[in-house]
Amino acid sequence: MTSTPREAALPGSVVGQGRVGGGIARREALWGYAFISPWIIGFVLFMFLPMAAALIFSFTDFDLRKPDEINFIGLRNYERLLSDSAIAHSMAITVRFIAITVPLNLGFALGLAMLLNSQRVAGKNVLRTLFYMPIQIPLVAATLIWVGVLNGSTGWVNRILGIFGLQGPDWIADSSWVLVALALIGIWGVGNMMLIFIAGLQGVPTELYDAAKVDGAGAWRTFRSVTVPLITPIIFYNVLISFVTSFQVFIQPWVLKNGIPDDSTNLFNVNLYREAFVFNQMGYASALGWVLFGVILGVTMLLFWSARRWVYYAAER
Amino acid sequence: MKNGTRSAPRTLLVLLGVVALVLAACGGGTASTAPTAEPTEAAATPTPIAVTPEPIETAEGGLTADGKVLIRWFVGLGTGAQPDQIADEQAVVAEFNASQDEIVLSLEIYQNTTAYDILSTQIAAGNPPDIIGPVGFRGFYSYGDQLLDLEPYIASSGFDTSDLDPALLEAYAEGFGGQVGIPFAIYPSFIYYNKDLFDEAGLPYPPEKVGDQYDGQEWNWDTLTELAKKLTVDKAGNDATSAAFDGSNTDQWGYYMQWTDPRGWGTQRGAGHVVGADGNAVIPENWVEAWQWYYDGMFKDQFIPDGTENRSDLLGPDNAFQSGRVAMDFVHLWYTCCVWPADGEPNTPNFGIAVPPSDGGTTTAKLHADTFGIMEKTAHPEEAFEVLTYLLNNDTLIARYGALPAVKSKQGAFFDALDARFAPNEINWQVALDMLGYPDVPSHEADMPNFLKSDAAIKAFQEKLITTAGLDIAAEAEILRGTLQGLFDEVN
Repeated sequence: MTSTPREAALPGSVVGQGRVGGGIARREALWGYAFISPWIIGFVLFMFLPMAAALIFSFTDFDLRKPDEINFIGLRNYERLLSDSAIAHSMAITVRFIAITVPLNLGFALGLAMLLNSQRVAGKNVLRTLFYMPIQIPLVAATLIWVGVLNGSTGWVNRILGIFGLQGPDWIADSSWVLVALALIGIWGVGNMMLIFIAGLQGVPTELYDAAKVDGAGAWRTFRSVTVPLITPIIFYNVLISFVTSFQVFIQPWVLKNGIPDDSTNLFNVNLYREAFVFNQMGYASALGWVLFGVILGVTMLLFWSARRWVYYAAER
Repeated sequence: MKNGTRSAPRTLLVLLGVVALVLAACGGGTASTAPTAEPTEAAATPTPIAVTPEPIETAEGGLTADGKVLIRWFVGLGTGAQPDQIADEQAVVAEFNASQDEIVLSLEIYQNTTAYDILSTQIAAGNPPDIIGPVGFRGFYSYGDQLLDLEPYIASSGFDTSDLDPALLEAYAEGFGGQVGIPFAIYPSFIYYNKDLFDEAGLPYPPEKVGDQYDGQEWNWDTLTELAKKLTVDKAGNDATSAAFDGSNTDQWGYYMQWTDPRGWGTQRGAGHVVGADGNAVIPENWVEAWQWYYDGMFKDQFIPDGTENRSDLLGPDNAFQSGRVAMDFVHLWYTCCVWPADGEPNTPNFGIAVPPSDGGTTTAKLHADTFGIMEKTAHPEEAFEVLTYLLNNDTLIARYGALPAVKSKQGAFFDALDARFAPNEINWQVALDMLGYPDVPSHEADMPNFLKSDAAIKAFQEKLITTAGLDIAAEAEILRGTLQGLFDEVN
């Protein structure tokens, strides 16, 4: 048995006594569990159990107003959602929203990160803080601010466009622009994603940039052939999280449309909320929640499968 | 060595997967990258505007620690959550509690936008309040089957209903399977007008009596249209009758119908109901006509603020007439709650009230009514009824809610209180009393099959109309009818 440096440093009476070593390991493990137990308890109480309850509810006709009249109805909720045109419609809008918001957020966050990682930019720490700050503002408050900023009549965005002689759209009221408005609101909060990208960019070895420079590579070629491949794990992480959170978007469309979503803003989670808390159909809404879980799980697995082809881990090569 | 290094990225991938799945499962999390990642729970979180200062500990059976009966009063389904109403509600509760050694009354106030969700959740959790209200018929239709039949308690307590309108009393029994409410407040509707804007334009005020003419013309919707256009002014000072008027830069609007839905809009041309005699969905023709007129007012003649304008800095966020930029607002008596801001200088200090125009000689002024109800699952129905009667008879509440008492003998005192509040403004409250003679029958708040979804469909229809130019209103009305029919069929 080869002693680890740590074991070698222990007194002779301890070294070689597996039981004592095992005791230490067990004690450490116990301390570890003790330290993470608040999270585990919180997860079980506030996430796992509600999820399990929702799974059970999804097989019932649970009406929030009539909890005593709950009945087991088998798979009827799942059958119903197959014929519910609102579900297909809300999923289609959600996919459209994701198609706009994920690339926009990623591109904007990466661009900002590149900018704020550049040697040529002064006051980087201040700028990083400023770009990060918006996500500290409660989302409802932030969205209410955006309602004013994007107002088609008196909003700042259209006033600025007006200075250049451009007639801005009615961002919130116009069904063809409202998803873009939601994406714009999303951009305002890319600070966290930006920070993760900055951390990734700072992990790219500088000698690779030097080598690229020596080889005559320009800025674009360096970005494409050095930076992007080496930060693909970070891109992958951000893509994954961005997909997951975009599927779950709720607050912005709900607040933006004052709780009265139209066809263009009835995203999947908005529709789920309406079924649960406006129409009181908690059983059906629970089924929708589990369908959403399944969809997100499927997309996540798909992304992990695709990651083998485009995510580059230097240690594996 | 190679194997050892390969495990790190795999572990990372697994960890990322776990994070992603947890996020997926839990509706957001801490690793969010954008506002879109905020937990959805935030929006569902109840938004208490004000609650009983300290939670009241309850023992078994809804009793407080010192053995008193706890009665919870839930406010927010109708009026009652405006900032200037809360202090009075708290004072009423404090006064009741000070007079009691058997009952503790606890007040819960929620924003109207979340109150329905919260109440449903409380019921589902087996923790419903004892009393809800003030609430209109919409709220009663939403929770009608959850309310206690008050008839036995009215009989045993000897509560006097002789001073109440029998038809109104019956309205809280018909279709509910019992007497679930006792009339508390009635709110006729009429036109509030901003005298300053009329004076500035040199225009006479609208009539105060049904049948009176306006400036030598019959007071009908055509006359109001012309008047409203004269009172609609753009930033350059052109009114909407001028060819130079710029509707994209409107600074002042002539007319608005605040805080109502398309069923309310419809009553401008008379009463109607979306449920036909055979139970099928129908859109009354007079309502389509009213909707067309209102829509044209927003997008063609532009004397009515559309959805975007109403939510702009000029009018918003949600009290257009109070901004001082709307000349006429067709709304209910309850709007006396909010015609002036809770604090600061009123933008519309000098207002009057007038009768609505007639349509083909017929005047219609939609009517609202509010009251309180007791939840069927209350553990203490008798004590809850005692509190209910206290609230029903409370003059402070009725004045603050801007509610005309359903008890006829109290109506004079109510208007005296309003006069004192708005002094030195002199307002002819007889207009409000007169409008009680022109209610919309059937009510625009009447019950519908699959009420919650049908109501949501009508609100979605409204949202489309106020935000979308170029619609064919007749076609949209037909789409709405089809949608309603589908919703009716779900439950029939």
